[in-house]
Amino acid sequence: MEKRPKIAAIATIYHKYAHAQHIVDRFLEGYGWNSRHHYPPMDLVSLHVEQVKDNDLSSDRLERFPEMKGYPTIAEALTFGGEELAVDGVLLIGEHGEYPSNEKGQRLYPRYEHFKQMAEVFERSGRGVPVFNDKHLSWNWEWAREMYDVSQDMGFAFMAGSSLPVTWRTPSIDMPLGVPVSEAVCVGYGGVDSYDFHALETLQCMVERREGGESGVKWLQAYRGDAFWQAHHTELWSRELFESALCRSHTLTPSRPGFNNPFPTLDELKDIVKDPIAYQYEHNDGLKSTMILMNGLVQDFNFAAYIGSNDEILSTQMYLPMPPARTTLANFFSPLVNNIEQMFLTGEATYPVERTLLTTGLVAAGVDSLFAESTRQETPHLDIAYQPTEVSTFWRT
Amino acid sequence: MKRIAVITTIYRYLSHAQHFADRFLVGYPKEGKWHRPDMKVVSLYVDQKPEGDQSEDRAREFGFSVYPTIAEALRCGGDELAVDAVLLIGEHGEYPRNEKSQVLYPRYEFFKECIKVFEEDGRAVPIFNDKHLSYSFEKAKEMVDDGHRLGFGVLSGSSLPVTWRLPDVELPLECEIEEALMVGVGGSDPMDYHALEAMQCMTERRKGGETGVAAVQLIDGEEVWRAGKDGRWSLELLEAALSRSDTPCGLTDEDGRTQDMIGNGEIYRLVENPSAYFIEYNDGLRATLLMLNGAVRDYCFAAKLRDESVPVSTQFFLTPTPNVTYSACLIAKIEELFETGTAPYPAERTLLVSGTLESCLTSRHQGYIRLETPHLNVEYRAPAESQHARR
Repeated sequence: MEKRPKIAAIATIYHKYAHAQHIVDRFLEGYGWNSRHHYPPMDLVSLHVEQVKDNDLSSDRLERFPEMKGYPTIAEALTFGGEELAVDGVLLIGEHGEYPSNEKGQRLYPRYEHFKQMAEVFERSGRGVPVFNDKHLSWNWEWAREMYDVSQDMGFAFMAGSSLPVTWRTPSIDMPLGVPVSEAVCVGYGGVDSYDFHALETLQCMVERREGGESGVKWLQAYRGDAFWQAHHTELWSRELFESALCRSHTLTPSRPGFNNPFPTLDELKDIVKDPIAYQYEHNDGLKSTMILMNGLVQDFNFAAYIGSNDEILSTQMYLPMPPARTTLANFFSPLVNNIEQMFLTGEATYPVERTLLTTGLVAAGVDSLFAESTRQETPHLDIAYQPTEVSTFWRT
Repeated sequence: MKRIAVITTIYRYLSHAQHFADRFLVGYPKEGKWHRPDMKVVSLYVDQKPEGDQSEDRAREFGFSVYPTIAEALRCGGDELAVDAVLLIGEHGEYPRNEKSQVLYPRYEFFKECIKVFEEDGRAVPIFNDKHLSYSFEKAKEMVDDGHRLGFGVLSGSSLPVTWRLPDVELPLECEIEEALMVGVGGSDPMDYHALEAMQCMTERRKGGETGVAAVQLIDGEEVWRAGKDGRWSLELLEAALSRSDTPCGLTDEDGRTQDMIGNGEIYRLVENPSAYFIEYNDGLRATLLMLNGAVRDYCFAAKLRDESVPVSTQFFLTPTPNVTYSACLIAKIEELFETGTAPYPAERTLLVSGTLESCLTSRHQGYIRLETPHLNVEYRAPAESQHARR
């Protein structure tokens, strides 16, 4: 029988609906996958949780799964209290928990700090193992770049990012590989330095499949409030794509009482969405992408783009079964965990971490633009070119 | 431009009439565009006007009339049939239940009013009938027969067969199904009907096409679990169906955890009163609907196909309230019926499911006996092309 990989999980906090709960629970309890209750063929053997509060679930999980041990430091979790790296894969889950925010409103999750502690153990042990970093790499671009560079220098498999690229789509379609894309839009919801990242990953997992692959991003400009409506009015981004994305939503706020699903007029949109936000950016090959957050109007992530030589519209929704209102399980974590499992088993990332390096930089540039009164941010540092996987990696089976 | 009459029990916010008929008035999302049907609602009949009635408001805003009778609505107050299609929605409103707990919605009565006008005026137009045709198979059969006799298209049924599926699977046409199982929730008789029709839109694609139902039995309570352990329905298929659920209850509600509800035994604890609807088809296929209130809150299907080691399974995705975009998927099919005069899938599906449900509820009423159902020899072929939302 093949050796089962040993996995360590490093988390900021472990409570109901925290990302650590969604991810680590799937390794411990299994999850529905391809007509089975699937148990990952690996063992989650060590856990470090930075913040343990009244709502903590890690003590329950440690008790019910005695093969998993809790450790007070990251180094100990990776070495079982010894000197040498003792695990075959690492989950870094730096999402949720009480951390301060900076003046730009970025939550200072210690993803970089946790990564660095892990990398020290790797260096000391003379080897690295596959690592998954939940969400964007760091709030700080330089630190994110360093994390990426360390993974490249040490040569360990590194994956990161959001569930959006891998969850269900309605319809269940992917961007055809190598097709020309002339403009792309994502209409989503949520806050700056949080769900903007999910919307950017939604965009990027689609447009990276275009002719030539990803070429990197030249500049980004954010729009908010009146500036947003002005830009929308002058069609700085395609009205047609914006509306096509809205037509994929399952959660359009009714713009008129007594109607359950009308399509809003522009005046109604302005009434419903008090604080619209857009990040528009140009890729090095000339593609323009626009990420739009329409809080109040939708509660899902919808994508639309002009593709091919005739500018046909391709559109879909990246569907999040989101608890507690609609579901009890955040099952978009299932395809994420499944991709992570494959990396732990094969030692190869199933999709490129460069995607998340780029979206990490785009979030930071978006935050900077908003903080600098929506000025355009030149982004020569986002000269990140990469190729997509040929095979689709979203949830289809 | 096609002229549509809307015949309904009630018209108020989130009633079926409201979200169906409104889509003809304000459009609906279809294949990534806001689609406005090239059709006009010209007349409305509502049987009951409870508090919150919207019929007069809609008529005023969209320029049509509310008529006191179905015949007048179909004739738009004139002497002869003056519409090109009928949207018949007998769902919601206050109607009594019979001894089998079936709600006695007047779908058959509404439909027959239309037939009377068609016959008197010498012209018949397509009818969409929402949900099952009737609580009575005999009445349902007469409705479908009327369509054939007078030569107009009849479409009927639930949104579940046409909504999104997670994952987007369709059984291959002419596949060999060894066994099928559906998990549903909610009350009887509205929600068991949806679940049965969801299962039927999958099983009807099997080799030889639909052959009709030979016998049914309904059981309730602990017997349901015993029947599973005895192999009368497949635990493997229940696991497959549950693998598609986003809504396990109990421990998942408590602390968010994923769970193997069969393995940890929670399913037996959570479902206070399980029900199993056993269906034996004329060609020997056995299918089971499990109504598992308390365990999950969604509708999932699983089937074992010959020569496939892993069951095929999917969730019929009921998109969130209030948009309920699954009904937009059904409106696209209704529009196709109205436009072409031909139903995109046969009303015989709904006829068979209407009768199957009635016989299952009779089984329960008569002490859970197995009932032979020679009258349910409804044969038909599924359309080759998939009809559910996938574009």
